[in-house]
Amino acid sequence: MIESIRDLARKWLESKEVDAIFGLKEQDGGVAPYLFTGRVNGISELGKLTTSTQYRRLCYTCRPSKDNILSLMQRREPNMKIGIVARGCEERALVELAKRGQIDLEKIKIMGIACSQEEAKECKCERPYPNNLVIGERVEGVSGDENINALLSKSLPERLAFWRHELSKCIKCYGCRDACPMCFCKDCKMEQKIFTETGSLPPEIPMFLFIRFYHISERCIGCGECEKACPVDIPLLTIFRQLRRDMKDLFDYEAGIAVEQESPLLTTLDESPMRKEVTSGV
Amino acid sequence: MAEFEPKILAFCCNWCSYAGADLAGVSRLQYPPNIRIIRVMCSGRVEPEFVVKALSLRADGVLILGCHIGDCHYIYGNHRTKKRMAILERILGYLGIDPARVRLEWVSASEGARFAEVVRQFTEEIKKLGPNPLKEVRA
Repeated sequence: MIESIRDLARKWLESKEVDAIFGLKEQDGGVAPYLFTGRVNGISELGKLTTSTQYRRLCYTCRPSKDNILSLMQRREPNMKIGIVARGCEERALVELAKRGQIDLEKIKIMGIACSQEEAKECKCERPYPNNLVIGERVEGVSGDENINALLSKSLPERLAFWRHELSKCIKCYGCRDACPMCFCKDCKMEQKIFTETGSLPPEIPMFLFIRFYHISERCIGCGECEKACPVDIPLLTIFRQLRRDMKDLFDYEAGIAVEQESPLLTTLDESPMRKEVTSGV
Repeated sequence: MAEFEPKILAFCCNWCSYAGADLAGVSRLQYPPNIRIIRVMCSGRVEPEFVVKALSLRADGVLILGCHIGDCHYIYGNHRTKKRMAILERILGYLGIDPARVRLEWVSASEGARFAEVVRQFTEEIKKLGPNPLKEVRA
């Protein structure tokens, strides 16, 4: 599998289909994001191109500039065509970022790779394959999440008690937000004093994490980076997974599938775009 | 012990519901004094965070009132509200706060009687639900 990824990457670079490949590189016994350029030494480095379930933050937001790493690259090199080795979740992140005007998908060529059954199980991923599969075999996702079922079987006071316990562990490290590929606002509500008091722990329950739950609700791609980043193991994904189901249920919408599919919060009740109709009416 | 008197926060849109509340007032319609009104320019101005903030500041219920669909002064403001509140209700449910504490209703400027009726019904419902469980969290 990894060999065919390297071969295809080499082919793309040599045929000048892309100017650079963005992926993970083996380095000092670990992995790190790396831009393999089309120059001779870049191509020879492709032997170190790798994939990892431990580190999948190819689309993450840089702090404190709050720029997406890809949009930074695209702004600096507007004409560069970048090839990206992307798993299902990373591809969905790219689609959502393009939908929200953060990156230019025209300048990106996605090498969609499938996750293995073990990897899917590890992430409890419901969709461990990209929409456009290039390398690997598609395996079925994990359906059913015992955390969600446990939450839904609780009564309202029990749920509140559960979250009160979980959220009181929060140390306000902002790890979930910083790891989230969909969090790119320059002014983050989680930092505004009116919503979150400064200087006290735990943060206001449920305000602090509610902001994230709501803001990511319709764009969550289910990658699970927030839960992995959480140092105190708050089961954030339980709510995000359930919200992904709710979006299908409420608006027949699934994040990260097609760039043309507009977010339900930006359309009218009959799912027509708001902005277009307003301007044509004037 | 005195009967539980809930505190209810109402966000009223400037163009319809606030005028509706005004009409209820000048028509001398009776409705429970449990609500406190905040005027917003559009129900679309009400962010779900406002509602959660109100609940965590010990409001027992939150009422969001806007123009009927199609009547919005800003054309699609109330479409946004409706979709947002649908998501908000789900999240509140998962967090263990009864979604019935938040209600979205459309009240036009000519519906003073309806405004009074909505407030009456909602107050009754909140009385049945009892005090906001988040009160203990902050105590």
